[in-house]
Amino acid sequence: MSRAALRRATADPRAEAQLGGLRWTVRHAYEGSAFYRRHLDAARVRPEDLRTLEDLQWLPFTTAQDLQAGYPLPLLSVPRNQVVRVHSSSGTTGKRKILGYTRRDLAEWTAHFARCLEVAGVGPGDGVQIAVGSGLWTAGSGFQAACEAVGALAIPVGPGNLDLQCQLLVDLEPTVLCCTPSMALLLAEEVGRRHLRERIRLRTVIQGAERCSDATRRRILSLLGAEHSHDLTGFTELSGPGAGIECQKHRGIHYWDDWYLLEILDPETLKPVAEGAVGEMVVTTLTKEATPLIRYRTRELTRLLPGPCPCGLPYPRHDRILGRDDDLFIYRAVNIYPSQIDEIVSESPGVSSEYEIVLERRYGKDRMAIRVERDPAGNPLRDEAIEAELEHRIKSRILVSAEVEVVDYGTLPRSSDHAQRVFDRR
Amino acid sequence: MAPSFLPDFRTEAELAAHQLAGLQWTVRHAYEGSPFYRGRLERAGVRPDQIRSLADLRRLPFTTADDLREGYPFPLRSVPTEALVRIHSSSGTTGTRKILGYTPKDLADWTHFFARCYEVAGVGPGDRVQIAVGYGLWTAGVSFQAGCEAVGALAIPVGPGNLDLQCQFLVDLAPTVLCCTASMALLLAEEVARRGLGDRVRVKTVILGSERCSDAMRKRILDLLGAEHLYDITGMTELYGPGAGIDCPHHQGIHYWADYYLLELLDPESLAPVAEGAIGEMVVTTLAKEGSPLLRYRTRDLTRAIPGRCPCGSLLPRHDRLLGRSDDMIIFRAVNIYPGQIDEVLATVPGVSSEYQIRLETRGGKDFMTVTAEGEPGTDPEGAVAGEIERRLRNQLLVSVEVRLVPYGALPRSERKSKRVYDERSG
Repeated sequence: MSRAALRRATADPRAEAQLGGLRWTVRHAYEGSAFYRRHLDAARVRPEDLRTLEDLQWLPFTTAQDLQAGYPLPLLSVPRNQVVRVHSSSGTTGKRKILGYTRRDLAEWTAHFARCLEVAGVGPGDGVQIAVGSGLWTAGSGFQAACEAVGALAIPVGPGNLDLQCQLLVDLEPTVLCCTPSMALLLAEEVGRRHLRERIRLRTVIQGAERCSDATRRRILSLLGAEHSHDLTGFTELSGPGAGIECQKHRGIHYWDDWYLLEILDPETLKPVAEGAVGEMVVTTLTKEATPLIRYRTRELTRLLPGPCPCGLPYPRHDRILGRDDDLFIYRAVNIYPSQIDEIVSESPGVSSEYEIVLERRYGKDRMAIRVERDPAGNPLRDEAIEAELEHRIKSRILVSAEVEVVDYGTLPRSSDHAQRVFDRR
Repeated sequence: MAPSFLPDFRTEAELAAHQLAGLQWTVRHAYEGSPFYRGRLERAGVRPDQIRSLADLRRLPFTTADDLREGYPFPLRSVPTEALVRIHSSSGTTGTRKILGYTPKDLADWTHFFARCYEVAGVGPGDRVQIAVGYGLWTAGVSFQAGCEAVGALAIPVGPGNLDLQCQFLVDLAPTVLCCTASMALLLAEEVARRGLGDRVRVKTVILGSERCSDAMRKRILDLLGAEHLYDITGMTELYGPGAGIDCPHHQGIHYWADYYLLELLDPESLAPVAEGAIGEMVVTTLAKEGSPLLRYRTRDLTRAIPGRCPCGSLLPRHDRLLGRSDDMIIFRAVNIYPGQIDEVLATVPGVSSEYQIRLETRGGKDFMTVTAEGEPGTDPEGAVAGEIERRLRNQLLVSVEVRLVPYGALPRSERKSKRVYDERSG
């Protein structure tokens, strides 16, 4: 949100509620967490200083390093005996992020996750195959609780295990599939290989935790015979998935600004980017008790989408996640996000959605090779023409030279979790 | 004060009145909601309005695992599919997999009586509970977690396996309670000892589910972890999942939730009630289950009723630990033997660890049974101990058994359920 927009917004009751949530959060963190108190004292901000939403800019940032330093229960702002669950990201001692939840945190998470399902048109009568991990991971239990809240039937299959996934797709006829795009592609291709498309009833695919190109999306939908693909956002620090979702108009991701404030900042200057420009998502929670976030730097990149959505929902929108700060690679002095290559591959007829980028150093010079799979119905005789076309588009759009090679369909590795696309061997 | 999840019946009569109302509701609900149950009840000549006393339970037909398989994928379903909000499943392939559906009320009831299990085991606010069981289609993980949150304890949902991760959480979050199978508890306890983490682990209570566990194994788990209490939690996927009962701190049998289901103990062959205190198959009838109610469901699990009132004062009835499955029953030289009986004997002999295997073979036209047991760590297996076990087994089981003692650690360990009986008899 721009400063001007912030000022305009404070006139309406939504903004009043946000300001109330912000003030509550800062006071709660200040009083409940020694870390936040030190942090706020060092920035010379006291809870009572917050008078408008604009005052958000005076608050100090919180980073992944702060979470690591606070291991095992970082940012904890309530007594330990009020924490009823932990979830965790992967990592070893000291690197692992463990986040605590109070009962109210779990209820709020479920309510906002349920809103995601509602926006995607999921409700009573829908069967929802949940093909993501549970236990320490946030995804499985988040999807399951949300399903139950909207009255849909949760089918908690968990990740991997294509045999079991196919068996339940046929036997229980779920209408909704939830997983990572990599898993969705793997499963869709398996459904294609086993000729099950006519025996399954999937209508909607909800995918999160990974970027997904338009080409992959189209391929998943066509192999499964489904109609809608919805990107779902979220991360462990903000409870888990369920922080926002694409509506059925598919014009960006609605995010829940009654649950958290989103700033889009330049990762270098930490100032707001120009309206509509790409920047880092920085979030501040409004109701979270156990581990509130104050200007938490997510490292994820996106841009705000201005104006109301044709769907009429009152929640603001941002673009799909365009990558992470960490994904950025620098090639011949140009900053490149893999999502830029995604977009170009997605627009090209004759190739499938799968590609990989290999960066090498030869004779003292960097070289970028892109291997992309031919469409399963594509003609190998057109490979050279497609290679030339893609090289031309990359040159004209990203202003760098790359060598493109079209390979047979199915030759690049598939993953049931996250596909690795960039191999930097320089 | 924290809310209690225990029922407030003051007398057995109050409990019985609640049970009768639940039985009447269940039979009518199943009759009206499930074509399968309606057909079964009609064939047995029973109408819902004929259930007038708890004794009328005996008029109801049995339900078996085969009925569940035939009803795949939604067996025994007594509500419209739209009323279901979750499924869980046991393992198996198409046609053999059991899938059970839950309504929101089923999930709430399950969480309520699971929270009661924690309450009985003294687990509440301030406790941190490491949950080392499976999630997803399995019933265990999610119910241990929901029960925790209901009593206000902290759930640490680590999931099964992964000893590195388990040890890391045991040290870093200092849980006071560990929940897993007996095999996993032993594996983890031994790993804690091997890594010398004993002093850094704060586990006071171990809650074990879904597997028989000998006294020797129990003692070893507690010793290695430095824990004080070990509880057995019961349950099965068909009956919601784990949480159907637990022993109290007096450890004199398992209290089961007679306000949620009726338990009969029947002879697996004749299906008549066994004599009081004798081993029989557990047959359950639910009193409140909506999605897939159970009418006289044959669980195949064996136990015996424990008569009288528990010193803890609860009027909720008790049964013994699970003593095996009627499918595991070995018929050896015309004697019925349950592996649980071998557990019980081994636990009485000093110098013997808790791991064992039973091997049945035919030699020269005659059946032989060999029990291979492990000596305790640091002891040399001695012939004298083997002789002592043979003598006690012969006294208890009234058959001759050869006993071999092997060094501690020689038998395989498993993170899930250990296979103990190898029947290699011909014919």
